[in-house]
Amino acid sequence: MPIPVRQRSAEPQTGSPLSGQPLPWAQIEACLHRVQKPGRYVGGEYNATQRPWEAADLHICLAFPDLYDLGMSNFALMILYDLINSQPDLLAHRTYLPAPDMIELLRAQDLPLYALEDFHPVADFDLLAISTAYEQLYTNALELLDLSGIPLRSDQRDASHPLVIGGGHGTFNPEPITDFFDLFVIGEAEEVILELVEIVRQSHDASRPAQLRALAQVPGLYIPSLYRPCYAADGEFQGVVPNDAAAPAKVLKRMMPKLPPTPTRQLVPNVDTVHNRAVVEIHRGCTRGCRFCQAGSITRPVRERPVEEILASAEAIIDQTGYEELALLSLSSADYTHIRELIKRLRKQFAGRQVSLSLPSLRIDAFSIELAEMLTKGRRSGFTFAPEAGSDALRHRINKTISTEELLDVAEQVFTHGWRTIKLYFMIGLPTETDEDIEAIIDMAQRVRRIGYRIGGRKTEVRISVNTFIPKPHTTFQWEPLADKATVERRQERLKDGIRGRGLQLSWNPYRGSQLEALLARGDRRLNAVVERAWQLGARFDAWDDWRNQDAWDEAIGELPSETLRAHFSTAEALLDAYLERRRREDEVLPWDHLQSGIEKRFFLQDYQRSREGKLLADCRERCHGCGILQSFPDLRRETWQCPVIR
Amino acid sequence: MSGHPLTSAPEMSSLRHRITFGTSRSLAYVSVLELGTLWERTLRRGLVPLKYSQGFNPRPRMHFAAPLPVGCGSKADLLDLSLNEPRTSDAIIQSLAGVTPPGLTILDVVAVAPRVPALSEQLVEAEYQVWLREANQERLSTAVIRLLQASSVLLPKRGRRHRGKTYDLRPLIKTLGIEPNPKPDWTVLGMQLNARPGATGRPDEVLKALELTEIPRRCFRTRLILDHHLGGR
Repeated sequence: MPIPVRQRSAEPQTGSPLSGQPLPWAQIEACLHRVQKPGRYVGGEYNATQRPWEAADLHICLAFPDLYDLGMSNFALMILYDLINSQPDLLAHRTYLPAPDMIELLRAQDLPLYALEDFHPVADFDLLAISTAYEQLYTNALELLDLSGIPLRSDQRDASHPLVIGGGHGTFNPEPITDFFDLFVIGEAEEVILELVEIVRQSHDASRPAQLRALAQVPGLYIPSLYRPCYAADGEFQGVVPNDAAAPAKVLKRMMPKLPPTPTRQLVPNVDTVHNRAVVEIHRGCTRGCRFCQAGSITRPVRERPVEEILASAEAIIDQTGYEELALLSLSSADYTHIRELIKRLRKQFAGRQVSLSLPSLRIDAFSIELAEMLTKGRRSGFTFAPEAGSDALRHRINKTISTEELLDVAEQVFTHGWRTIKLYFMIGLPTETDEDIEAIIDMAQRVRRIGYRIGGRKTEVRISVNTFIPKPHTTFQWEPLADKATVERRQERLKDGIRGRGLQLSWNPYRGSQLEALLARGDRRLNAVVERAWQLGARFDAWDDWRNQDAWDEAIGELPSETLRAHFSTAEALLDAYLERRRREDEVLPWDHLQSGIEKRFFLQDYQRSREGKLLADCRERCHGCGILQSFPDLRRETWQCPVIR
Repeated sequence: MSGHPLTSAPEMSSLRHRITFGTSRSLAYVSVLELGTLWERTLRRGLVPLKYSQGFNPRPRMHFAAPLPVGCGSKADLLDLSLNEPRTSDAIIQSLAGVTPPGLTILDVVAVAPRVPALSEQLVEAEYQVWLREANQERLSTAVIRLLQASSVLLPKRGRRHRGKTYDLRPLIKTLGIEPNPKPDWTVLGMQLNARPGATGRPDEVLKALELTEIPRRCFRTRLILDHHLGGR
C-alpha cells in the first residue's frame, strides 16, 4: 500500500531549502576539512544499503545519539538495520550525533543533520528511532532532534514530523524524557518494529494523536502522552495512570521467544570505531541474578542459539565482511551451555584463516581461563574480571558467589598461563558497604599484584577500575539510595592512597557524573523540565568527562525549572535528596512501576530481603526461584528457553 | 623466492602483485591505517590468499607507496601485495569484483617480480590536484608566484613531538600552478611535490602556505612518480 507524499505543515527550523531532497555532497564536503575525523560524517560503509530512496514507501532513520565511533558498535541498531532493510518496501538509514566541532559547523552553515546513506535530512524520514540505551544519551537525543530541525517536544510536533521513537535499556524508566518522544519500545524492538510500522502505514492520514492512540494497541509500545503522573500534596510520586481509554494501565516488554539468526551482512566502517569487529550473539539474557544488574533482569529469560546456527552465521559474517576478529556477544559467555564445543568448532572452522575470536564477558573461574586459553594462541595481554566488591560478605549481598580465596586462585592461574595484565572491576557505594570493604579491595589488589610479581615478574600489571554503584530500576536494589558524595569521595581517596605503586593502576569516575546518571535513571516526569533546561544551557555528551557540562546541570537543577518542581521541592538539595539520597519505601509507587520487565516486584522484594540477610541465590539454571518471567509470558513458554520448570 | 618472472605477464601466476587504485568521496577521509584495514578486509572478502607476517600479531604483507593524507582521494595510488599461493593478475581482478566498498576503484593489477624493490624506496614525487571553491583566482595567482619565488618557506612541523620546530616547505615543491578548470565554480591548483622518505611535501601544507586553510576544497593525488633505478641492493 503506497503512502502518498505528505505535505509538511511547516518547514523545519533549520531545514535545507531543498526539503525532501538529499543534501548536496558539495555542502557536506565544504565542512569536512575543518573537523576532526571527517570520516565519521560521510557514510560509504561496505554493506550499507544502496537501495534508492524511492524504492520504499516508508523511511526509518535509526539514530545513535553519540559519536559515530560508539554508535557503529551498537549491535541493537545493527539488528534493526538488517531487519528493516530486508523488507522490500521499507528503508532504514543511520545517523549519529556529530562531535561538537561538526555540530558547530552544521549550525553555522544552516545545514540540518542528515543520514549517512545518501544524505537525506533526518527530518525527511517518517520514523526516527533514537537509541536511549543509557541515561547519558538523553541530552544528546535533544541535541540530535534540534540539529535535525525537529521540534523537541512531542506536543510541538504533528503528522508532518517524523514519529520519534525511543528504544533500548533506558526505556525501562523513560519518565525523565517522556516530553520529547512520541513513544517508547519496551523490550526487544526487533519483535515489535514491523507491527509498529504496519500501524503507522494504516494510520498515515490520521492526525498524530489519533495515530498514537492506534499505536497504543500494540503490546510493548508505551505512549507517554496517553498517561499522566499523579503526586500527593507533599509532592510524593503516586504513579503514572492512563488518561486515555486506548492506553493499557501497564506495559509489558516485548521479547523474542526464539532468537532469529544474527544478521550477517554487518556494516564495515571505513574509519576506526570502538568495537571494529564482527559480532555473533550467542545467547541473550542472564541467569546469574546479580542484584545490581539491570541488564541481567530486563533481558530475561535466557535464550540460546544452537551451535550449528552460530557456526553458519559466523562463516557468513566473515565471508560478507572480511573482518579479522569475531566477538561472541552475550552477558556472560561462559554460561552458554555448549561454549566449549562452540569454541572448539569455531577454531577448527577458521583455522589458518587469520580470524581471531573474542569473548567479551567472562566470569571468575578456571573454566573461563580454559576458554580464554582456547582462544589465544600466543600473545596473552589482558584478562578482565568483575569481583564487584572487595569482601566475601559484601559479595554475598550483591549475589556474587566467588570468594576472595577462589579469586586469588584464579588470578594465580591466569598469570601462570602467561597473561601479563589482570583488570578487576569493582563498585563502591554498594548497600551496607563499610570502610572495611574498601580495605578489602585494596588488599585484594595488592595480593593479586604480589601473585603477578611472583609468577610473571616486574612486567605484570593489575588494573583496578572502580565505579560508583547506581541503584537501577528493575533490580533488587531499586529501593536503595545513591551513596552520598562525602562517602564516595572519601572512599575514592582511600583507594587512591592504597592502590599505587609499580604494577598497580587505578581508575575511577567523578561523583558528579554518577550522580547525574542516577538522577536520570531514577527520575520521574518532573525531570523533563530539568533535562530540557540543562540542554538549553549547554549540557550534552554527559558520558564524556571532557565534554560534560556540569555547570549547566547544576544551574538547571538549581532553577527548579517548572511550576511542579517549585511546588514540590523547596531547593535543589531537596530535589536531589528526594530522588537520590533517600531509601525508597517498599510500599512506595516507583516511577517505573507501570513498565514491566516480566520480573515481578514481589520477587525483587524477596531478593532484597535475602540480600540484607547475606543469603546467596543460586544461578537459576540450577533451580527456579520464581522471578515471574514464566508467568509473564505464558503464551511464549512453549518455545524453548532455558528456564527450568517450577517445582 | 626465485623462479618468478622479472617482467609482468597477466597470464602468469605470481606471489607478488602491484595494484593501481583510486579512492573518492567517503574514502578520501580515511587515514592511512584505516585504508590498510579497508584493503585487508576487501582482499579477504575476495578470498585473495594474503601472506601474513609471523608472530603474535600477524599482519598481511601489504605496502602502500605512500600514505594518502586525510581529506585526499586518489586517481592512481599503488599497493604491493604478497600472496601465500600464486595467482594471476586477472584472477585477482576477478576476485575483487563485487567486494570493494563504494569509492574504491581498481584500475590495474600487475604481477611484480620478487626482487623488485619496495614501492616506498622507489617513490620520488607525487602529483596532486586541489580543487578550490570560492577562490579568488587573481589573488591565488599572486600567492602562487610569491610562494614559488621565495627561497624558503618555514612552516611548523606537525605532531606533538616536533612542537616548536619548523621545516622548509619550499624545496619540497617541484611545480605549482593553476590548471585549466572544466567547471566554472572551481579553481584547480596542480602541484608536484617531493615524496622521498623524510622529505615529503603535503598538499594541505602548500594550501597553508598559500593561506587557504579555510577554503572548501577537493583534493586528489593524480600520479605517483617512481624511479625504477632506486631501491634494492
